[in-house]
Order: sequence, then C-alpha cells, then structure tokens
Amino acid sequence: MATENQPNPSAVPTPPPASAPAPGASAPAAAPLPTPTPLPNPLAHLPLPFQPVDFLLRGYHVDASVEGGQAVSAAECLAKEGFALDTITGVDWMALGQMEVVYDYFHPTRVLRAVVRARIPRDNPEIPTISGVFPGANWHEREAHDFFGIRFLGHPNLTPFLLPEDATYHPLRKDFAL
Amino acid sequence: METQAEQTLKDCAPYVRFAKLDELLALSRANSLWPLTFGLACCAIEMMAAGAARFDLARFGAEVFRPSPRQADLMIVAGTVNKKMAEAVKTLYDQMPEPKWVIAMGNCAISGGPFVFPGQYAVIEGVDKLFPVDVYIPGCPPRPEALIEGILKLEEKLTGKRRWPVVKSEPRA
Amino acid sequence: MIIEQTKPVLEGPKGDASPGRTDEPIAPGAVRASDAPAATGRETFVINLGPQHPATHGVLRVKMTMDGEYVVRAEPVCGYIHRMHEKMAENRTYAQFLPNTSRIDYLSAMTYTHAFVGAVERAAKIQVPRRAEYIRVITSELNRIASHLVWWGAFLLDLGGFTPLLYAFDDREKILDLLEGITGARLTYCYYRVGGLYNDVDDAFLNGTRTFVTEMRPRLKMYRALVTENIILRKRLIGIGPISAEMCRRYGATGPVIRGSGVSYDVRRLEPYSVYPEFDFEVPTFPEGDSMARYLVRMEEMAQSLRIIEQAVDKLPAGPVMAERVPRVLKLPMGDYCYAVEAARGRFMVRVVSDNKEIPYRVKLRTPCLSNLSLFEEASQGMLLPDALALMGSLDLVIPDIDR
Repeated sequence: MATENQPNPSAVPTPPPASAPAPGASAPAAAPLPTPTPLPNPLAHLPLPFQPVDFLLRGYHVDASVEGGQAVSAAECLAKEGFALDTITGVDWMALGQMEVVYDYFHPTRVLRAVVRARIPRDNPEIPTISGVFPGANWHEREAHDFFGIRFLGHPNLTPFLLPEDATYHPLRKDFAL
Repeated sequence: METQAEQTLKDCAPYVRFAKLDELLALSRANSLWPLTFGLACCAIEMMAAGAARFDLARFGAEVFRPSPRQADLMIVAGTVNKKMAEAVKTLYDQMPEPKWVIAMGNCAISGGPFVFPGQYAVIEGVDKLFPVDVYIPGCPPRPEALIEGILKLEEKLTGKRRWPVVKSEPRA
Repeated sequence: MIIEQTKPVLEGPKGDASPGRTDEPIAPGAVRASDAPAATGRETFVINLGPQHPATHGVLRVKMTMDGEYVVRAEPVCGYIHRMHEKMAENRTYAQFLPNTSRIDYLSAMTYTHAFVGAVERAAKIQVPRRAEYIRVITSELNRIASHLVWWGAFLLDLGGFTPLLYAFDDREKILDLLEGITGARLTYCYYRVGGLYNDVDDAFLNGTRTFVTEMRPRLKMYRALVTENIILRKRLIGIGPISAEMCRRYGATGPVIRGSGVSYDVRRLEPYSVYPEFDFEVPTFPEGDSMARYLVRMEEMAQSLRIIEQAVDKLPAGPVMAERVPRVLKLPMGDYCYAVEAARGRFMVRVVSDNKEIPYRVKLRTPCLSNLSLFEEASQGMLLPDALALMGSLDLVIPDIDR
C-alpha cells in the first residue's frame, strides 16, 4: 500500500503552515492589510493567459479567460501538463448578453487548480467540444446544454442528459419561465 | 332446547374455530406484506434501516422486499418522483397484481417535499397524483419507527383493528 | 470467438478466459475489449438495467447492449431523480439552501454541507472558530465511516451476501445515535451554519465517540477476516473492472476510484481545507486498479477516519462554536468562489457565483459520482454482466448525486 505523494516541490507553494485555522482568514478590519506579495504563476510557460489567483480566497490557483475557439487548445495544453477535467458549467450573464462557459481542471498529483473561462454570445451560444481531449467532458457538456442551451460543436451525442428526452427548455437560463 | 347444529358447535369449540373468510384473508395479508424495493432517494436509506437489525421489519412480516412488482403487494414509494420517472412508477404500479397497497413515505412522496418552489419543472408534487395512496408517512426522512408505524396503520386499514400496542416514546435519559 | 469455456469459473482469474477479467495491470490509455462479440456478427439485444433495480442504488437506468452474458455497450441514462438543486439555489438565500446540501448525497451529508458553508465563508472572509472546525472534522469523518458502511453492506448485497448488510447497519446505528444527539437528525443533517455550528457538542457525544472508536476497531478486524479475506469475494473482485490511472484522469474520477488506481489524490491533502493539515493520517492507495483495490481503499479509509476522530476528540479546543459578527443578511462580494472537500465518494466542489445580492447568482455543484460513472461505459465493455455490476458497485454511486 503506497502512502500519499508529496506535492511536487516545483508546484505552487502550499497554503500557510498547518497551524493556520481556517481558509479565508484575515485580521479584523481595524488592522491594515499587508501589501500583497505577487503570487507565483506555475503555468506561465503555457501559451495561455493564466493569471495567478489567491487560493485561500477563490479556491483555485490560476485563471485564464480565452476566446470560445481556444477552449480546445487550452484543454490540450492542460491535458499535456497532466491535468484532469473537473467540471464544465455555464453562467448566464443575461444582462451582458453573454454566456460564460467555465472549465474547471484539477491536477491529480500537484497542488494546482486551474480554471479556463470563455464568453460566448447568448443568442447564439456555440463552442467547440473538448470531448476529444477529455472523454469525461461528454457528460458535462450534455448537462451544460441541458441547462443553458449551449451548443457544443462536434459533440458526439448532444441529447438531454438530466432532463426528459423530449425537453426543449433550458432551466438555468435567467429568462426561463414555466 | 339446542338444535343438533348448536350442540355440535359447542362440542367442537375446543378444537375448531370459525371465522369469516374475509377476515382470515385480511389477517394473513396484513401479517405478510411483501414490499416492492422502490427506494428512490434519501428515504430509501431509512427504509433499509427499517429492514435492518435494529428496527427489524421482519417482526411484522414485511421484510421480504421483492425486486419484481409481480411478486409484491405493497409499494413503499420512498423518495421524490420525477416527471421522467413518473411513467416508470405508474408502470410498476400497474404491474402489481391486486390486492395492492401504496405507502407514500416521506415528504417528497406526499407532496413534493422540500423541492417545491416556483419554477420547479421536474418534480411531481406527491405520488397520489399518479395513483391512490393508502398511508402517508410524513418526515424528511421519516424515522424507521415512523415507517413501521405506517405499516401498522396499513395493517389496521386491512384488518379493521390495530393489533399492536401503541409505543409512547420517552425522552432519552 | 467467445469463450469456449471448458474450465469451471471458480478455477480462478487466470483460468478464466472472459475478456473482462485480467490479472495484468491495464496499459495506460487502453480500452477494454472493443474486439467486441458484435464484431463477429453475433446477435445482440438491448436490456434495461433499471430504473427500478435493486443493484443500481437509486434510480439509474443503464441501457445495456448484450451479447449473451457479455456487455457490448452499457449506456447510463440519468435524470430520473433530477430535482434541480442548482435552480433552487438561485431562489434561496445562502442560509435557506443549507437543507438542500444534505439531500444531494444523503449518505455523506455533512461533507456536502461543509463544502457549501466553506464556499460562503471563504467568500465572505468569515473566520470559523477552531472548536467548530474540529467538530466539523469529527462529524464529517463519522459521516464518512457511516457512508462507507452503507456502501459495504449494499455492495456485498449486490454480490450476493446478505449478512454484512445487517452488521454494517448495526454499526451505522451507533454512529447515527451519536449524531442524532447533537443534530437531531439521522440522515439529512443540517448541522453546519455559515460561520460555525449552531449547536455545541456535549460530553455524552465525546464519550460516546471514544467508545465507538474502541468498539469499531475490532469490528473492522472481523470484517477483514470474514469478508475481505473470503475466497468468494476475492474471486469476484480481484482482476474485475480494471480502471487505469489515465482513464481516471481523462474522466475526472476522484475518491476511492482514483486512489484504487494508484494515484494518491485526496482533496484533504492536495487542496487543504479546514484543520485537516493538523491531523496525522494516511491516504490509502492501491495500485492494482481493479474492484478489489477500490474495496480495500474504502476499508482502509474507515480505519484512517477512526484515527482522525481519535486525534480530533483528544485535541478538541475549548471556545465558541460560532463566529462573531456573521451578518444576518449575507451578501457575498462579486465574483466566483470555490470550495472542495473530500466526500466519501470523491471530490465534491461548490462554485458560488455572486453578484452581491442575498441570493447567489449561480451555484454549481461538482459531484463525484457523475465523473465516476462517466467512465463506466468505457470500463465495462466486454465484461460479464455480474462483473459489470461488481464494477458499478465498486464505484460507489448514489444517484441523486449524479442527477442533483
């Protein structure tokens, strides 16, 4: 029986030492905030616009906003780095006329969580599928299609997944009404 | 002066009992209800706990959970019924042979439970919209004792009288 | 082609020529048996496993294309218990959504509530008192043991053994008594609040927990001797349903599924949260990748959870259990916030998107069973039907977790 791996030493440094009580802790409002040190970007070598993010505040380490057409190449880059697909979801920004497709990735052996976002127009939400790179995306994209109506181009089977087979509505859209 | 028939009845009394066939059938049905394994969601776990060792449905004759509706006479709907699932539930109910009874266990089966909100498109608000229900057991999830009480209520419905004492719960020391 | 079986099945994995069984570790990226029987022109038929089936642990329908007893294609169809928690979250305040979190995966309900309140606390920068964090860990680990016990009993019921279910439920009742004493509920607790807990634990709970830990250890030994080392169980599980680490990565499988394939991925270690870094425990990992490995991971996890509970009860600090100055009307700053926990089935993550109102703009629940089941189609090709069910049982599915 193997014991757990030590996190890769070249990965992002682990959060503050173990005696820190809870994530998201900060001093009471009276004390001045210390000047933030710039966060390291462990994925800076990738051709993707990853920005480092405070894990203790957000829950992920790096964040990239890409165009809809770049989602597949982003997935391929991350797959080469050894990431696993966590989930794909959408957010309906109706006021802005956009849908945001959010891809979450986690790394199985490093302390590293990546998020890739793409904004697509709301009245014609199409984005290429990444199920060729990550077969697990198959179901996540079907679910996103169910809830938001996002069409994943090239998806092998974009039929309702959680909704009844004959459903034509998309419940998580902000203008959904029964 | 007693008739011959009355005299015979008196002689037989220590050895023979007479009853109406209906009552006998009701008693035997009540004592050996065969539930259909129909756990849908969280209430299913409490149903399994009721069948397990501590709460022991076997005392009441109802521990033989049948997977096939053709062999069951009691459907305990434990969990939320969906619009996608409703057809399957109705088919199962239709496949059960008469006489059959239905217990709606848990708030979801009674009325949709905690999942009713304006804009809910998926949940059927209560399984009695699909077929008649005999006993409703509220709770989210109801305790196994509540399920047993529901089964005893069903037995009371079948036989006409409650054959088990009512247990008053006492606060734990 | 298939399987002119002249040897009896019980001769052991090597003597059995069925394509689903193997003793070799599966090569990375290899797909099981697409040299499927149908390629030889044999007739196949489609049967439905579910949605009402004793072995699917909920309402899952699997459309199986079968060639005799061999699975050509197994396509899970979900949605039969879809209750739309994510839409409900957009209609509820943060505190009103808490009961929903227990009902997503009701067997490890505490961990799911933990993820949601953790996300809200992370966003609102609320510091949870240490005593509350410790009690959260204790109750989460108790819940993990209860969940694994139900899995164990139901899994063995699928494989044909009825007795372990009764033993498992008996042990589980002890845990439920403890948790009922502090929360009032047996299954769907709503114990955590944003900022801590609403109810402190008493001595009865702590003493009862210590007693439970001492009673549970010999029980686990008994289960190992009677069940884990049982020759029938070993023949049914060793070599069955191999899942490689690469397959886990491509599908995003987590929890005992990935730990049974040799990758030591545990959210408590790789995305540290709460006070888990303060405890000394191991993350059980087995390299074989078959159903037996996943089984052993969960049995070992129960023992490790007992270790964590013991340490937490010993080191429990005094103090309040609820943070001060938690706003009654909670509004989170704009942006999205994630919080992941290691639930009994794998990695559960809550992503809250907020637009600075009382109700969240979007709540995404990333559930482990969806990713775990998504690899079933690829992993079960060419297997015998009972072996496919053993594989499905070893994935430990709770269907409302998939359908949410």
